[in-house]
Amino acid sequence: MCVVGVGLADGPKTPELSALMLQAQAFGRAVADSGLKKDDIDGLASAGYGGMHEVQLAEYLGLRPHWLDSTSCGGSSFEFHALHAYRAIQAGDVDTVAIVYGNNELSAAGRSLGTGRAGGGGAAAMPYPMSWEFPTGLTLIGAYAMAAQRHMHQYGTTSEQLASISVQTREHAARNPHAMYRDPITIDDVLSSKLVADPLHKLDSCVISDGGCAIILTTEDRARELGRPMVYVRGAAAGMTHHSIQAMPDLTVTAGAVTGPKAFAEAGITAADVDTFQMYDSFTYTVLVCLEDLGFAPKGEGGPFVASGALGLGGALPTNTDGGGLSATHPGMRGLFLLCEATRQLRGEAGDSQVDGAEIAVAHGSGGWLSTMGTVVLGTEPA
Amino acid sequence: MSGDTVSEVPKYLIPRISPEAAEFFAGTVRDELRVQRCRACGLHHHYPRMACPHCGSDDLEWITASGLGTVHSYTVIRQQGIPPFNEQVPFVVALVDLEEPGARFIAQMPTLAPEDAAIGIRVRAAFQPASEEVSFVEFVTDV
Repeated sequence: MCVVGVGLADGPKTPELSALMLQAQAFGRAVADSGLKKDDIDGLASAGYGGMHEVQLAEYLGLRPHWLDSTSCGGSSFEFHALHAYRAIQAGDVDTVAIVYGNNELSAAGRSLGTGRAGGGGAAAMPYPMSWEFPTGLTLIGAYAMAAQRHMHQYGTTSEQLASISVQTREHAARNPHAMYRDPITIDDVLSSKLVADPLHKLDSCVISDGGCAIILTTEDRARELGRPMVYVRGAAAGMTHHSIQAMPDLTVTAGAVTGPKAFAEAGITAADVDTFQMYDSFTYTVLVCLEDLGFAPKGEGGPFVASGALGLGGALPTNTDGGGLSATHPGMRGLFLLCEATRQLRGEAGDSQVDGAEIAVAHGSGGWLSTMGTVVLGTEPA
Repeated sequence: MSGDTVSEVPKYLIPRISPEAAEFFAGTVRDELRVQRCRACGLHHHYPRMACPHCGSDDLEWITASGLGTVHSYTVIRQQGIPPFNEQVPFVVALVDLEEPGARFIAQMPTLAPEDAAIGIRVRAAFQPASEEVSFVEFVTDV
């Protein structure tokens, strides 16, 4: 299976566009990028809305797909979609799949996603696991913060090391004209930004933006006919450990410790082969723990690894080269943007952010509260 | 108990009492920490469930826990948009491992100063009335 089209909707702030408009805009751009016709697409995946959203979206786009994936498990849903599409295309069930996401998170809902958004019916209307957390006053960022705190306790990870992730990501954002924040920041800037939930600061946290993204996946035969640079999916894996943070088996290990090695084995690579890493940076800690889980650094040594400058364009593992969720784009869920940026890198279309000679790129999505993880290995050559 | 009155807890914070949690909440209004123990594997768990999350058995019994535990991790919530939390910040929320193996609680530690919060400190459950049927479990450090 190959990625043959990618499209980004307008952003990072588009109050004139609805969520559905952002999805359709990204879809149209991905189709145009692929060289396919709309009616070549016979599979559709999307996430994040419920209520037969994928069916509404197909109707809006004028699609009549015979393959649908509505897996909706947080920000990593799109890596789950890519995995499912990979198997379905391998099996011959479907030929060409579009994965689409878009949301006017900033314009419609504002910036309260991580710090307490009034729930409609309160605790009585919540999913059962969350009804135990909500009355404690825990926030979304607070859940990540408890995990980060434990990592610091066990391994001596420091706030400065976490901050270095934000600093390096901002350097990437400075090269992306569509990024929400582009001015350089320092470790001191991160540490002096508002402490939101100890040990995480405002600048340890992703932005809230508007935006949309779509990618088109199809068979290798069809990809070859299109004449665009070939980008192969070489391996993929997905998994989960928990829903709410109270049930996370180990706050310092995610399901990425399973999905990473599994996807790498299918792709026939090791961590050392990866030229660029696109990682769902909901918070700095998400990046740090997943760098370890996927084997880019030994467990507990993610702090020194990031502090070495590894994530920068000249570093050992250029990461989130579009400026990530920390600085560029985060319209509620970011998993699909990772696959887009990985593809642009492998095509050599990443402009000033290009990693020279990139042949292997990994997209790794995280959903919920470090709950669901999906790893996709892309390459310029097949596995 | 902190001595606050029931009426100070907003209704939207109070969970619907799901059937598997009825015994737990009945215990809270008696200041008893009731948790489930699995007869098959011997481990405890919280929140209440129909089957053991450790081994899958539905051969469960209720025990009264000592209420003593250890802070596994914590955070200090300093920004919260929802009342009454927006006026309570900063406050500590902790993951507490009970003495009874397998059971972990998430709870506020409202009387603990943020600067005194630490992983590994010994804590004890306390009960904060929220309604006639529900008291919230908090943890305090005077064990």
